[in-house]
Amino acid sequence: MIAFMIFMPAAGAFLTLAAGKRSGRAADLIAACLCIAELLLSCALPVGSALRIEGILGFGLHFQTDGFRSVYAVVTALMWAGTSVFSIEYFRHEREHLLRYQFFMLVTLGATEGVMLSADLMTTFVFFEILSFTSFTWVIHEQTAEAIRAGYTYLFIAVIGGLVLLMGLLMLNQCAGTLRFDELKAAAQQAPDKKMLLAAGICILLGFGAKAGMFPVHIWLPKAHPVAPSPGSALLSGILTKVGIYGILMTSLTALAGNQTFGLVVLAAGAVTMVLGAVLALFSVNLKRTLACSSMSQIGFILIGVSMNLLLTAYGSEEAAVTALPGLMLHMVNHSLIKLVLFMIAGVVVMNLHELDLNAVRGYGRNKILLKISFALGALGISGVPLFNGYISKTLLHEGIVEAAKECAPYAGLLHVVEWVFLISGGITFAYMLKLFICIFIEKNADAQRQARYDRQPSCMNAASSAVIFVPALLMPLLGQPFAALRIGSLMTGSRELLHFRAFSAGNLKGGLISLSIGLILYLTAGRHLFLQNGSYVNLWPKKLDLEDAVMRPLLTGILPAVFGTILSVFGENRILIPLSKAVLFAASVFGRALETSIDGLIVLVHSTALRARRAKRGPASGEGEFRILREEISAASRPLTRTFSFALMMTCIGILLVLGTLVALMLLR
Amino acid sequence: MNLVILLLPILLPIIGGALIVPIRFKSDRARNLYSELIVILTSVSIWVCLLCLHGQPVTVYSFTSGFSITFAVDGLGSVFAGMISLMWPLVMFYAFSYMEEAKRKNSFFAFYVMTYGAAAGIAFSANMITMYVFYEMLTLVTIPLVTHYGDHASMYAGRKYAAYTIGGASLAFFAVVLTTMNSSGGTFTYGGCLSGNYSETVMRIAFVFGFFGFGAKAAVFPLHEWLPTASVAPTPVTALLHAVAVVNAGAFAVMRITWYVFGTGLLLGSREQIFCLLIASFSLVYGAVESVRERHFKRRLAYSTMSNLSYMLFGVMLMTTAGFYAGIAHMVFHGIIKMSLFLCAGAFMHKREKAYIYEVNGVGRVMPVTFICYTLGALSLTGIPMFCGFVSKWELMRAGAASGTVYGAVGVIALVISAFLCAVYTLTISVRAFFTAKEKDLYIGAARDDADMRMLVPIVVFTAVNVVLGVCPGLIMPLFEKIATGVLP
Repeated sequence: MIAFMIFMPAAGAFLTLAAGKRSGRAADLIAACLCIAELLLSCALPVGSALRIEGILGFGLHFQTDGFRSVYAVVTALMWAGTSVFSIEYFRHEREHLLRYQFFMLVTLGATEGVMLSADLMTTFVFFEILSFTSFTWVIHEQTAEAIRAGYTYLFIAVIGGLVLLMGLLMLNQCAGTLRFDELKAAAQQAPDKKMLLAAGICILLGFGAKAGMFPVHIWLPKAHPVAPSPGSALLSGILTKVGIYGILMTSLTALAGNQTFGLVVLAAGAVTMVLGAVLALFSVNLKRTLACSSMSQIGFILIGVSMNLLLTAYGSEEAAVTALPGLMLHMVNHSLIKLVLFMIAGVVVMNLHELDLNAVRGYGRNKILLKISFALGALGISGVPLFNGYISKTLLHEGIVEAAKECAPYAGLLHVVEWVFLISGGITFAYMLKLFICIFIEKNADAQRQARYDRQPSCMNAASSAVIFVPALLMPLLGQPFAALRIGSLMTGSRELLHFRAFSAGNLKGGLISLSIGLILYLTAGRHLFLQNGSYVNLWPKKLDLEDAVMRPLLTGILPAVFGTILSVFGENRILIPLSKAVLFAASVFGRALETSIDGLIVLVHSTALRARRAKRGPASGEGEFRILREEISAASRPLTRTFSFALMMTCIGILLVLGTLVALMLLR
Repeated sequence: MNLVILLLPILLPIIGGALIVPIRFKSDRARNLYSELIVILTSVSIWVCLLCLHGQPVTVYSFTSGFSITFAVDGLGSVFAGMISLMWPLVMFYAFSYMEEAKRKNSFFAFYVMTYGAAAGIAFSANMITMYVFYEMLTLVTIPLVTHYGDHASMYAGRKYAAYTIGGASLAFFAVVLTTMNSSGGTFTYGGCLSGNYSETVMRIAFVFGFFGFGAKAAVFPLHEWLPTASVAPTPVTALLHAVAVVNAGAFAVMRITWYVFGTGLLLGSREQIFCLLIASFSLVYGAVESVRERHFKRRLAYSTMSNLSYMLFGVMLMTTAGFYAGIAHMVFHGIIKMSLFLCAGAFMHKREKAYIYEVNGVGRVMPVTFICYTLGALSLTGIPMFCGFVSKWELMRAGAASGTVYGAVGVIALVISAFLCAVYTLTISVRAFFTAKEKDLYIGAARDDADMRMLVPIVVFTAVNVVLGVCPGLIMPLFEKIATGVLP
């Protein structure tokens, strides 16, 4: 049954491809039916079953189902079912490359289920790599210059992530001797080399974090979502980020369970991701970009949960199982569902207007009741308004931080700060969702003609799309009820105590309300006045502080190297690393050329002495001249390349090796 | 009788190939049939040797005692022989199609068949002298193939190739002489064959000479320059010889001298070992770096070959059985992958008459099968699970980490960097082929026009093998393990 779930979509992908050659309509339907079938299958998946396919890939593939995995298998299939039905309408008029999209969408479905049901890290890794490459086709789908740029970023971050992850697995395997989740915990506790374990954990964190959109490897996320087709963005943001979280969570529950340092590392990464994502979302004036940055921020919330769980278990507290763990798991589910709805609504907007700029889409939803309600439900859910789903998960996470502050005495001060950061980020979430909602559904467009056109068009989607948007949206208030949410939470964690959690106690409500009022104030002050100048939304994020060029790229150059010992890249604006890398390049090339030309020189020497007579006879058109022309041709062809990112990158790689070589030489001499 | 059977795979292609020129075939068809027949017969005889003559040395001619031309079939040799025996017949088909419009086809196929014999000779030689003889022979018979087109660029490439590999081999000669003197004829024995009174220091230095000498063919830095230059040769040559047979012969020879002549006991932990290990680590990144810089399709793949050969050398230079095991695996898997990549590049260059990477933009729609196979090969070379490249890379990294030394760890980091660069230099081509912005697409409106069947079949077969071995490495890995641990001598 598990095998069927993983390999059926991949097999179905070929079927879709074959059908699509004849009729595009048939391919649409087959793809949607396959996803719905997958949903039914995942609901019927028995908890506690396991599957082992030995011999494949040398180490075998291992799967299992438990509460968390089963729930997530259902959520995954639900996401796919929703988006595949929606994409029938979404792609109705833009059928170019559609078949490719559908093919890779189905393969990714199989791979994602493979990750979600995996029972050892190697299996996780295998499917993780598959989905990295297949989902790349979503990002680059439109094949515009912008999409290709984003696609390259996505691809290379995915490759780097994959390799760092692989290195982490290698180290983990080295010190624990196994990669199976059920054995890993015990094995890791007996491992002699704790430092190596931590290094492995950080590599794994970065590797999976690259897919989750964790700071500092989130760089692809705000670029990839706006250019991907909306059903693709919904999946990228709703589920592929969770694939990364799944890996981090499983590692933190097994190999690094109760590792305090690892907990602090995750905490730092999570807090920065949470705040940065929220602030960026607040500043953004692009609908899908706002949602993308919001995803990043929510991933930060989840990571905070992971770190609280780590810290609480490190201090031997029982509370972890009742607060942080279910909190983060519920927040994963909630965020998946919310982003499914919100991105599909963004898809409706794109499908009708082909615009994403807030000033252009402003007022679009004024008379579209269903769209308005669905968006409102999603927005309320993500902002953590009581009675909606985000509230319970955020409250649990908040409770986790409070508990951790109580239990982990050495970090009490730090954790109080984190608590406030958490509340403020929650507030920002509310502010940017308000901004979006008011902009699209309440205000009128600055251009009156546009507004009139928007108002004349009351129906914006067909019945099927409405259903797949509205039905998941109804889950928001449903999952906002403690009886439903806590039951799911206890199913996922296996903790009965959770059922007695009082979500609406005064203390918990207070936390939620503080957060919401911060958001409201922020929106009314900053949101209304700062971002709304002369009646139009402006992007106040300074150009110099542009994410890509000034913040993320140099960040990528500054933090990654410190973390895994590799100066990874030098991007455009950097003033220090480029001269440095140039110096290294110079040294390396002098070194290399000297060695090369010493041999070429011998040949030249022979030519100019012993073979001179022969050469003169043959005339001027000898090999040397031709060779020089060839060389010039080659170097002319490669000249533009010397200014590119990859060139800088590889030069730094050489540099690192030289440095490593020097170190080794020094050690040898000593 | 054993003598005849063992000599068959070596002499049959050499004599049969040489005969192509005097026979003066009237039609292409007849010559193709003849050369394919020779190659298939050779492959069959190789398999007969592998299955029937394992571990029975046959001396052909003895100059003095302990100085002889001797052949034997052993574990490592059979891997090399088995690999080339499966590749040669397939690539011949490709060559027939690729060379259809070329000139001087008779001499091309004559030398192309003859190289098979030289490569088989290297695989089956049982001592240093024999290996050295065939090693030089392989160099000599491939020079006319490199210079086949006869223009200045290929003449230059030919001369450069000769200078580097013959010059390199002369370095190796030092090692050959010293080891033959200090053992019973340099007969390959698992674990090393040195005996008698010898100075360890001298022998270690001799090993470094051997490493660079034989490593020249495996394009180890700084003796790598010939490889990208030699890619002006016709693609069947670059694919089969400069990605598999010749360069692997270099790596194979280094494996031989490390594990079967000098022995790891002499070298493990010495400065010489560390030096060679670091050279291999450096050159595997250097090759990848140059490859990213390169804009010519085949030269880019050639640099990538340089990088990947250093993977093998790195594995061998770790001097642990795990490293040796990974090195053998990478030798075979890289051969398969690089073969398919070169064949795809050749198909593109042959069909579209273009050679640079920026000319690939959008060609995926025109040549879908070729470029899908290319992409699978590229993913495999990068080391993505489900493909065989991952298996050997994982084993190499594991061996590096398990060696427990700083140099092993340096090598692992080098491997990771080089794997990332590998993704950059191979996958950008796939992205260009399939996902190009409209305004940059060079093939808008072009009808589907893929390579012909004689080209596609080898490509698809190699890709299929790549995937099958990637999914079920258990089919072949235990064999490598047995060889590396000496269970199967």
